[in-house]
Amino acid sequence: MSKRTITRRELLAGGMTVGAASLLAACVGTTSGGGGGGGASAGTVTLQNSIQDADPKAALEALVEAYQGADVTLNSVATEQFRAQLTNYLRSGDAPEVLSWYAGSVARSYAEEGLLLDVSSLWEGDGACAGYSDALRALSTDAEGRQIFVPTNYYWWGVFYKRSSFERWGVEPPSSWDDFHALCENLSGQGIAPLTNGLSSTPWMASGWFDYLNLRVNGAQYHRELLAGEHAFNDPEVVDVMEEYKRLIPYFDTNMASYTAQDAATPMAQDESAMYLIGTFVTTYFPEDQRDDLDFFSVPVINDAVPTAEEAPTDGYFAAANSDNHQGALDLLSYLASPESQQQFIERSRSANLPTSPDVDTSSFSPMVQKGIELLNTTEEITQFFNRDSSDALQATADTALTKFLAQPDSMRSILDEWQTAAEGVFAS
Amino acid sequence: MSAQTPMAVAERRHGARRGETRRRSGLLRIPLLVWAFLLLPLLVELFWVFWPAANSFSLSLTRWDGIGLAEPVGAQNFRDLATDPIFRTALWNNVVWMIGFGGLSVVGGLVLAVTLNKPGPLVGLYRSAIYLPMVVSLAVSGLFWRVMYAPDGPVNATLGLLGLESLQRQWLADPAVALWAVLIAAVWRQVGYIMVLYLAGLKGTDPTLEEAAAVDGASAWQRFWRIVMPQLRGVNTVVFAVTVIDSLRTFDIVWAMTRGGPYNETQLLSTYMFQQAFTTGNLGYASAIAVVIFALAIGFIITYLARQARTED
Repeated sequence: MSKRTITRRELLAGGMTVGAASLLAACVGTTSGGGGGGGASAGTVTLQNSIQDADPKAALEALVEAYQGADVTLNSVATEQFRAQLTNYLRSGDAPEVLSWYAGSVARSYAEEGLLLDVSSLWEGDGACAGYSDALRALSTDAEGRQIFVPTNYYWWGVFYKRSSFERWGVEPPSSWDDFHALCENLSGQGIAPLTNGLSSTPWMASGWFDYLNLRVNGAQYHRELLAGEHAFNDPEVVDVMEEYKRLIPYFDTNMASYTAQDAATPMAQDESAMYLIGTFVTTYFPEDQRDDLDFFSVPVINDAVPTAEEAPTDGYFAAANSDNHQGALDLLSYLASPESQQQFIERSRSANLPTSPDVDTSSFSPMVQKGIELLNTTEEITQFFNRDSSDALQATADTALTKFLAQPDSMRSILDEWQTAAEGVFAS
Repeated sequence: MSAQTPMAVAERRHGARRGETRRRSGLLRIPLLVWAFLLLPLLVELFWVFWPAANSFSLSLTRWDGIGLAEPVGAQNFRDLATDPIFRTALWNNVVWMIGFGGLSVVGGLVLAVTLNKPGPLVGLYRSAIYLPMVVSLAVSGLFWRVMYAPDGPVNATLGLLGLESLQRQWLADPAVALWAVLIAAVWRQVGYIMVLYLAGLKGTDPTLEEAAAVDGASAWQRFWRIVMPQLRGVNTVVFAVTVIDSLRTFDIVWAMTRGGPYNETQLLSTYMFQQAFTTGNLGYASAIAVVIFALAIGFIITYLARQARTED
């Protein structure tokens, strides 16, 4: 009947929450308490990272093992705890030299506080990042025009499906928005939930469809401005987005509010639901023997007057300004950013992530990854994701508003008003 | 023995005087080592408990994202709290939680204790089975109950088998029942603990009193309320304190099961505080919530102690 078990990730998450609660005392007021960070003396480098999944972690360990430069101390901290402690790591007197995190507004806000090392030297001349795309350069640049981030890999979002199941149901990936609705109707008629999603402990998954509908209806520029507080969430443009979202509600798995992002892959693996709008990390949610069967298509165009856009969240590293060994940090970053390291990391971690370096030989990557590279190379605009283009605080307001909207679509207007009030509170603080 | 010799009287007086001097110089006579043993934990307590706690009071008057400098804003955080709909939901949920969690676990624990206080087959097994959930941490019980409440999980499956399909719900995603679903999981764990406390209390009551009352014709109900309950007064004090403290500090099980969702409907003050502090980085606002929790807890404890003191007079 029920095939679900408690996964290691859920168990960890539960455990971490309790751990993080006890960190409250450590966080309040202390700026000197590094919290398991630094300890780097001359010639050694600390790499603080938030990698949790087994394969990527093994991949990073192998990379560090092979590093010829300084001795590297690798500290792996669970993501939730890392997020809570990141400020402490950076402010600590002997901060870890290099830290893994996200590109975009989060990195920029730390740079504004003067906590990040200027890594512009890697982006010039024959530096490791010199050949990266302009989009990545813009993403890694702070308000003063310095580069403060080294992106090493990124992934894309798309509507994932299983090729064999689509064949069996006699359907094909849609090429227009009307096709997409016809496909959903068809699948519903066959007793299959067209779309799956998981909103219980991962309510931010509701922002996936919101972001994409916004990109397709109003475009990437509007998306950025909206998330920067330049438009209101109860504007007519957002109402248009929500009207499109409302049309999709009947197609979602009715249990989506009870599933986590990971649970939601289960009905799809069992052919009870058909499609999932999610990032490429979804491949690891599927049984090993189904991963090669996965394929994706981009959310079809709705308004052809706006430029095409895709979400491609970027991960990488930054270096702390407060560390002892700046040269060691830059050397390690160069190493991690090199095409060889990126290739090794991506292959070893068995993820569908893309390299940021244009020099990585991608010919050995799977056909799906090739298709992803093609998608991102042809799209006109690239965005990150709701929280990465704004802040975790604004994400919380979106989680409340969107999950409530999905449960009570008829109160859309009042929900948007509440959302705007909550968002104003976030922008005011 | 009966004759009080002057000698004996003098002896006793002398003894009394010696006692007084001993008491007066008592503080000085405590060995240095004992002072060290007392002072060290005090310092640790001051540094790790009281200092951070005091900090959260001063932080509650600031706006602080944890990165820059804290910016003083006066009572603005508290004014914001007054108009914050999520805070109001959380406060109301805390009241529901305290009454529901306290009431159900005390009534359940007492009923179980009285039932299992009689000798019978497998009583030991039952007692340990009911106490067993207490051994598991709250976070783990939360994950366990999430599986129970899953859309195709055991709870809905059982309802289906009984032909009660109309009662099947998405227990943790339906705002009408989510808080109660979490509450039942918490009571499931707490009830064994309360039962053990009451069992210990029942062992300490005098069975002859009950027998005498039975002979006088008192019904079982009367015997319980008039004879047994008054003897459980000490246990009741402990149970009350444990229940109030446990219900105010509830955090892990809610966080593990719903994270305050769906759309903040199961938010408690503690989970909202955690979310504000560590997810959205509003440490000043979160500290203001912490101050409210502190005020509630201290309010309860003071009223309770005052009532206790009055009844003891």
